[in-house]
Amino acid sequence: MDFSLNEEQIAWQMKARKFAEEEIRPVSLARDAIAEPADTIDWDLIKKGSRLGFRTSVVSKEQGGHGIDYVTQALVMTELARADSAVSKTFSQCWKWSHLIAAACTDDQKERFLKPFLADDTYVLGFGQTEANSGSDNRMPPPDAPNAGVRLRAELDGDHWVLNGEKQFIAHGNIAKLFFLYVRTDFSVPFTDGTTILLIPNDTPGFSVGKVYNKSGWRFYQNGEMVFEDARVPVANQIGATNAALRKGEGDQSGDMFGDLELAANALGICDAACEQALATIKSRQLRGEPLANQQLVQLKIGRMNMVTEALRAYVMRVAWEHDQKVHSNNAGLAMNLATDTVQEVTELNMDIHDGAGRGMERAADKLARDAFIWSHLAGDTVQRLKVSGRVIRAA
Amino acid sequence: MYNLQLSEEQLAIRDTVRDFVAAEITPVALQPARLEPFDPPLPLDLIETASALGLRSLALDEADGGAGADTLTRCLVAEELAAGDVDVAAVLTETAALGGLLFGQMMSADQRAAHLTDFVEDSGFHLALAAQEPDADSGLGTAYHRPRAARLPVTTATADGDDWVITGNKTRIANAPVARLFVVTAASDAGTVALLVPHDAPGLSVTETPRDGGWYHGAMGDVVLQDCRVPAANRLTGGNRDVSSLDDRGSVLAGTPEGQAINLGVARAAFDAALDYAKLRIQGGRPIVEHQAIGSMLADIAGSLELVRGAVWRAAWDADNPQARADGSLADIPHGLISQVAAADMLYRAAKDAAECFGAMGVMRDMPMQKYIHDTRLFRHSGHGASDARLRLAEALAGHEPR
Repeated sequence: MDFSLNEEQIAWQMKARKFAEEEIRPVSLARDAIAEPADTIDWDLIKKGSRLGFRTSVVSKEQGGHGIDYVTQALVMTELARADSAVSKTFSQCWKWSHLIAAACTDDQKERFLKPFLADDTYVLGFGQTEANSGSDNRMPPPDAPNAGVRLRAELDGDHWVLNGEKQFIAHGNIAKLFFLYVRTDFSVPFTDGTTILLIPNDTPGFSVGKVYNKSGWRFYQNGEMVFEDARVPVANQIGATNAALRKGEGDQSGDMFGDLELAANALGICDAACEQALATIKSRQLRGEPLANQQLVQLKIGRMNMVTEALRAYVMRVAWEHDQKVHSNNAGLAMNLATDTVQEVTELNMDIHDGAGRGMERAADKLARDAFIWSHLAGDTVQRLKVSGRVIRAA
Repeated sequence: MYNLQLSEEQLAIRDTVRDFVAAEITPVALQPARLEPFDPPLPLDLIETASALGLRSLALDEADGGAGADTLTRCLVAEELAAGDVDVAAVLTETAALGGLLFGQMMSADQRAAHLTDFVEDSGFHLALAAQEPDADSGLGTAYHRPRAARLPVTTATADGDDWVITGNKTRIANAPVARLFVVTAASDAGTVALLVPHDAPGLSVTETPRDGGWYHGAMGDVVLQDCRVPAANRLTGGNRDVSSLDDRGSVLAGTPEGQAINLGVARAAFDAALDYAKLRIQGGRPIVEHQAIGSMLADIAGSLELVRGAVWRAAWDADNPQARADGSLADIPHGLISQVAAADMLYRAAKDAAECFGAMGVMRDMPMQKYIHDTRLFRHSGHGASDARLRLAEALAGHEPR
């Protein structure tokens, strides 16, 4: 196992660090403090990052992207997240579906969607799965509940699918130009056998954005409700076979293989930011003439924060390396679960370091903890843990 | 006799407050319009209504127009109020506790005569302890096991004829924006004095602390005293209580059982919501409470709430019944600090786990779960923070007398 970085990997890491320091960090807290959730995104920042390649990093070189490997992806996500986790996720959300385009789209679909994606700095991608009554069921399909899962109905009408229903809590639901949407195409069988993926441009007739969700953390990262009323989508926009959305097979790199690494690498960036904040605070602050760095409890907290952060880094790099080496393991999911525990502990310890009767909490420390809590609902809730446990048990 | 059986009166008060909260406070507190803004206004109308029920003057003797509520009763009320709205609970509990202290223990007969009627009759009459000063923070263990020289306030009070003239700054004072009467600590020729200062005294001004990022519950502000003049008779002589017990704090609730009871109410609201939802929400073919993973999490939350409630009630009993230590019914250790540390850690964890049951709704600002997390988090980190409380407990175990 060799985690030494080659020149190209270091170059991407440095480019990401520079962009994070010079462009993201200066606007991060101000964006977080905007009350209206649809206004937190900064399109100038997205454009700048896009021009540096952060939006299209994962599209292969042959297809006009940058084709960075998994190790580089992890490095870049961590660096960007160190300045703002939600900004990092806004970029990497585009990578997730770049993987799917590469793996599953036809040449015609690549022509129609990949080209505009590459050309337009504000073209971001989204993925619609969750609905009001299908959240955990989609991620861990219950074998004994045939009515569970995706309910958004798609019916064939000539060469179009006609869609009716809603999607909730969809990342980029209000801003993406293209969505990968899970639709129910057969209600007579469990949704695992009756769900299809469609490509939905945001100007599809009959599609509208509902509510824009107002999250306590990850405020920059947009999230919306999607409403479909007799929305017509060409059959030519279907990815793979009808009813085969959940049968993508082991070779697919779009879903958990990338997504699990993504959440672990992004969390690592938050941990780095928390360690950095805590160290800066204890070195600069004194209480009643006593340097904070002299306090044993403070020292122990600093040690713990750095210990678990570096352990997570080692795991993240191992997972990225395994992905690049095509080593199959359960480590991505386990690292994602661990990232939840780590990022929450580290950001909470950072808050401890910022305690004090004479002030409120540092907004920067508060933001990290709010961002970290998002992991409870993405990466470390019991369903995400059971799902990974299931893989471990099945593999044994 | 150490006995946590609640009296009929305590049960009646608790149930009355619980019904009031369910009918009047919760419907307002759960509205997105109150949950979403970074700077939600203080619901003064609800606080007034609760005052009319007697919750502001709870700790006054019955002869004075209060309910003569002991610490345990005030904890019951604080928990119920906080389960509805933590800001309402914080303002009322602060005034009730300080009211009991001032009118019951610290004021002279003349001072009582001057303020009692106004306090009892005006439902908007709140109280604030203005002791904490900028740059006086000794959190994060910096004062651990050090001899703490008696530290005089930077604020000064100078005798001038029949008046005191006060000058100085007080920071992060609970209830400052709504208080009609302040207790201000200041250094004088006679050492530290505590002075009663009406909110409209010339030379006193209050700046409200911005709520967002302000990291407080209820109401908070900085108080500036510039040649603020009050009559000599406004000096609190302490009655049967030493004025130095007012410490250098910005709230009388710091480290008290009532303060932890507010935290408990918040976490209870989170748990109640999670349990209701877990019974209704169907995933995996059954209500999620029927899945082991969720069921065991709810069991742990319920356990945490009861363990903390036990610690808070024990601390309240300890505060009200010194004989419980004397006869060995209660260990001779700081029960208030123990309940503070337990509440800070266990209730934050409880609120976080409760929110997890809600999936994405757990982080949405128009839903209450994210606020419960914020509110319990605030109890871990406001004041000197839970880590510091642990160290003060350690000092007490070692027999260290901080002053």
